[in-house]
Amino acid sequence: MTALARAIRRNLRPATLITNFLLILMCVVCLFPVFWAISSSLKEGIEIYRIPPTLLPEHPSLANYTWMFTRADMSRLPLNLWNSLKVTMGAVIIQCITATMAGFAFGRLEFRGRDLIFYLLIMLMFIPRAGGLMALYELMEFLHLRNSHLGLILLFPSAISVALFVMRQNFLSVPRELEEAAIVDGAGTWRIFLNIDLPFVRGGIAVVAIWEFIYVWGEYLITLTMLDFPELETVAIAVTKLRGWSSHFTSRIVTPYGTESAAYVVAMMPMILMFILLQKWFVRGLSEGILKM
Amino acid sequence: MAEAPRIQRVDEVRAQGRLAVVREFFRELIHLREQKWGNLWGYFFIAPAVIMYLIFEAWPILRGLFMAFSDYRWLVRETHGWKGFNGLDNWIEMFHDPTFWKSLGIAAKFTLMFMPTAFALALGTAVLISKVKNNFMAGFYRVVAYMPVVLPVSVAMLVWGKLYDVKFGYLNVLLQKLGVANPPNWLGSPKVALYSLVPPTIWLRFGEWTLLFLIGIYNINREVYEAAMVDGANGWQQFAYITVPLLKPVFTLVLVLGSGVISATVESMALFGGTNGGPGEAALTTGVYVYRTAFIHGDMRMGYAATMSLFLGIINMLITAVVFITMRTERA
Repeated sequence: MTALARAIRRNLRPATLITNFLLILMCVVCLFPVFWAISSSLKEGIEIYRIPPTLLPEHPSLANYTWMFTRADMSRLPLNLWNSLKVTMGAVIIQCITATMAGFAFGRLEFRGRDLIFYLLIMLMFIPRAGGLMALYELMEFLHLRNSHLGLILLFPSAISVALFVMRQNFLSVPRELEEAAIVDGAGTWRIFLNIDLPFVRGGIAVVAIWEFIYVWGEYLITLTMLDFPELETVAIAVTKLRGWSSHFTSRIVTPYGTESAAYVVAMMPMILMFILLQKWFVRGLSEGILKM
Repeated sequence: MAEAPRIQRVDEVRAQGRLAVVREFFRELIHLREQKWGNLWGYFFIAPAVIMYLIFEAWPILRGLFMAFSDYRWLVRETHGWKGFNGLDNWIEMFHDPTFWKSLGIAAKFTLMFMPTAFALALGTAVLISKVKNNFMAGFYRVVAYMPVVLPVSVAMLVWGKLYDVKFGYLNVLLQKLGVANPPNWLGSPKVALYSLVPPTIWLRFGEWTLLFLIGIYNINREVYEAAMVDGANGWQQFAYITVPLLKPVFTLVLVLGSGVISATVESMALFGGTNGGPGEAALTTGVYVYRTAFIHGDMRMGYAATMSLFLGIINMLITAVVFITMRTERA
């Protein structure tokens, strides 16, 4: 029997067939909402109001997207995207720096009270976050950081726990012999941090960066509470304020029904693309961060 | 930079549970003066993270605890700071607040619908994916299952809102094709509003659990299954006697992560477009009620909102404790 025939026979076993059938069903259900959003966003003009709705657009067009990006008087989407990018990149950079530095200190250095501080950080995670959002509102108002992107950029990376665990774990796995050799050669703390340990933990930094990116890009509740003005809103907030002509009257911006779907697709796509390109880091984040908590 | 074993000690203590951490914290505190100063650069390296954590995380936690015992109204100056302290008045009011109890009931009902379904679906999907021999297909299934997790919550809910739309959404078309004569008005009818909240939430979260289960299953040694097959265990027996017991730590983690869903604030607010909690407040979970009390209604009663959210936090802690006791794993 040839290898091919064997492979075909193995794949046609009833158990394998049922497994794959169920999993494909799962895929269809998982992908359908995203597919529906993309399909609606490509429908032009009146087709979106057809009853019953069509599954695929009859005349696919990018009109909704061009409307979103060119009608500066009606659509704030480009501005919202820029806000999102600004806040997200700022938070990612700060998170990477603080988590890497702290991970190095907690995983590699000896100093008085190190374990004490680490236990304190762990203990604070146990306490229920009662009124955290209300207290945050008061604090940010006091610091004059409400209605400012800087406030959000400082706020999001402060939730350090997962990133800290990931980085500490990464620093712990750097071979100790390398450091000892460097110390013999007279290297100081900074030399060891920058030249010896840092190249080893690049993977960990990537994990931290990607997770922070996903978190901040999609963050809703804190961002909504901290920002009062539409010009400051990030994409995740702005999309909730778009309402089609058909549905609600409470909206601030009125847009044609199809452009809402286009906005959803624009807000989702960076995440989907990043995930597909960088999936192995997501798995590492789950196994090094969440599973170790 | 020597003394590797001491650094690993922290992880051992962490694995022993919460009480061990508290005990070790005080032990360290008492023996602090006996420790060497060591490498002083250490303080410099932890400073940015610790300072930011103390300001933006630790302080709000402590402030929130105090806020729960004061009649703090944002728009009324006289109730700010220490002046608002009112002892247990908030708690007494909370126990007599019908809306609060109704919202807690809605949250409980939602969690009871969401948790078992999502848990079973995630475990089932993980087991199925682990059976796929073809590496490419297994990778494909993993990516698809996890994809919804990376989407912004608000966008994901809005996409579902479009799908649910009575006139222009596709869900009811699909149901009519399958022979349902009068498909419900998913987001408009108080009777089904809460149920409408469940599928999008499952869709959004089950991928993460699937992947956690899958990592757990991949970590189980192949030889264990092979030994079981030699002994004549069938697929179901392998699942019940090998997979489930060895996945216990992951189960614990997922249950703890999942109990956070009990407030379901963002999901509900995005899907129903505001803090009304859907038609007739049918999907007004406690999280949304807290948000509305603190930021939308009246003179922004942050104190009362903090009380309710502390109560919710205590319930969550109790659930977590019960999970740990029943699962009997060392981690806590």
